[in-house]
Amino acid sequence: MSTDTSTGTGSVDSGGSTSSSINLESVRAVAKKDFQDAVRSWLFWGLSAFFFALLVVVTGALSYFGEDIAAQGATTDMLVVFVSQITKLVVPLIALVLGWKSIAGERESGSIKVLLSLPHSRKDVLLGKLLGRSAVLSVSLTVGFVLAAVVVAALLGAFDIVDYAGLLVMSIVFGVAYMSIAVSLSSLTSSTTMAGAAMFGVFVLFYVVWNALQQVFRLLSQREILFFDTVSYTAEIGGQEVQAERLQDWVYFVMNLDPGQAYTNGLTLLTDVDALESQVAYSAQLFGGELPIFLQDWFSFLILLFWIVVPLAVALYRFDRVDL
Amino acid sequence: MPAITVDNLTKSFGQTVALDDLSFRVEEGEVFGFLGPNGAGKSTTINIVLDFARPTAGEISVLGMDAQRYSRDIRQRTGVLPEGVELYDRLTARQHLEFAIDSKNADDDPEALLERVGLVDAIDRKAGGYSKGMAQRLMLAMALVGEPDLLILDEPSTGLDPNGAREMRDIVREESERGATVFFSSHIMEQVEAVCDRVGILRDGKMVAVDSVEGLRDSVEGGTTLRVTVDRIDDDALQAVRSLPDVSNATVQGQNPPTVVVAVDGSKTAVLSALEDRGIEIRDFETTEASLEDVFQSYTTDAGTEVHAR
Repeated sequence: MSTDTSTGTGSVDSGGSTSSSINLESVRAVAKKDFQDAVRSWLFWGLSAFFFALLVVVTGALSYFGEDIAAQGATTDMLVVFVSQITKLVVPLIALVLGWKSIAGERESGSIKVLLSLPHSRKDVLLGKLLGRSAVLSVSLTVGFVLAAVVVAALLGAFDIVDYAGLLVMSIVFGVAYMSIAVSLSSLTSSTTMAGAAMFGVFVLFYVVWNALQQVFRLLSQREILFFDTVSYTAEIGGQEVQAERLQDWVYFVMNLDPGQAYTNGLTLLTDVDALESQVAYSAQLFGGELPIFLQDWFSFLILLFWIVVPLAVALYRFDRVDL
Repeated sequence: MPAITVDNLTKSFGQTVALDDLSFRVEEGEVFGFLGPNGAGKSTTINIVLDFARPTAGEISVLGMDAQRYSRDIRQRTGVLPEGVELYDRLTARQHLEFAIDSKNADDDPEALLERVGLVDAIDRKAGGYSKGMAQRLMLAMALVGEPDLLILDEPSTGLDPNGAREMRDIVREESERGATVFFSSHIMEQVEAVCDRVGILRDGKMVAVDSVEGLRDSVEGGTTLRVTVDRIDDDALQAVRSLPDVSNATVQGQNPPTVVVAVDGSKTAVLSALEDRGIEIRDFETTEASLEDVFQSYTTDAGTEVHAR
């Protein structure tokens, strides 16, 4: 490094730091390479085409069948509701598939040694991978949404750009949360087989176990097991006051830790969709009109942030300490 | 200041001891051949030098810096050709090099680098379609980015044809002349013979010899083999040859005519005189120098020739 003293200051500066330091230039270089690599795969273009097709198909169905909806001027609303139900399932799957091999695959093929032969720390690699893969998911979502916007605007009479953009932004945040889980788990395993099993486990956890939790809690409460007793509340249905029972607050808190639930809740903040808002109003009745903090829409961003930060923090700590 | 200092390095994987109290130095500016059969611990050593793996015990310093604490700074000044790794299939040679240049804040020209390793024709082709030899050339080019002070080449001849291996050695010489230290691992002696100033031989996680190529050759007893074709041979004459101070071994091969095979470390004429003194007619003789492969064999297999303790 004798000839490029003028440009060679970026990471030489970190003299005295430990190997586990973070250098933003390195993170950027790793992310850029990872993105370049992925953009050339069929996966990226396949994803963009998929998101495009998803929006166009739902829009087409709405404009064909949904005359009533159109009459109410709620077409974008319904688009958001339908599409978000699909993306709630599909975005995690895509993130897990994209992130699955991100680190474990490079360890298996040995190419991580190409990355780490260069002056990048392991943390740089982990963060760069997360950024690169998140960019792939976000850009493919954006490309799909933007291209579809033309069709959506043409087919639906009323096109609400705020709701549409809200759905896109929320989907990106949701995708990044799952990407963080995927990349982090990938870094904690040394084989793609183990990583694949971990991805499957995550999906089962949030889409099978978590869904079953509510039933389990209800059953437990019926048997009046300690901590599972119910709370009664008054709701107004069709102008009539109804006395009903609900589970305790903490059960709702646990249920809402699911990133998918946070995604749906977060949509109510970013969009102005009536169907989602009325769901919130109904939920509020359970708690006497005022939603507890953890059920408010802004709190779902904290939950998603939690799912981005916590797996990553564990991975950053662990990945620095393993033999590659 | 040595380029690499390894002190009392031990690395265990569970019950298996991969490196056992290993110590050696690579001096600044030299070309050091790191030899050993597969599984001797060469890659483990390199992994620890580059902080891919952590030592169980011991100290490693590279370019005067602690290998764990200053790994990033070390790698900033080091070029590495890792062994048996895959490239990024969807990226071209140019993109691979741009990534390395970007990562090191260097200002090399990808084209010039590929010119040096003879891969410039494939600069815009994706690495997924490369042969093993082409991939090896590209990785060598990546290692050369930023004029590193230290080059660590792990089995660099893998996948290269003899011509490619020679070009690779030329580059090692050029880099050495530029002032770089080269640390070069191989399991084939002849590859390091031509370029290395010193050679260290690793066996079962221990350094069994560190010396210059010449020194290693001399260290093996029976460095020279003398083959004498005679008209006849008897026990008396054979004993006389064996009793010579420079002879470590003498055997008879064949019958018609017999050939006396003598491992000799000094005067060959003494052997010939001893035979003639006992009335044996010498029809022909030839000497063969111990090949370095023999030297390597003797250090790395139990069946080999005995070696001097040095």
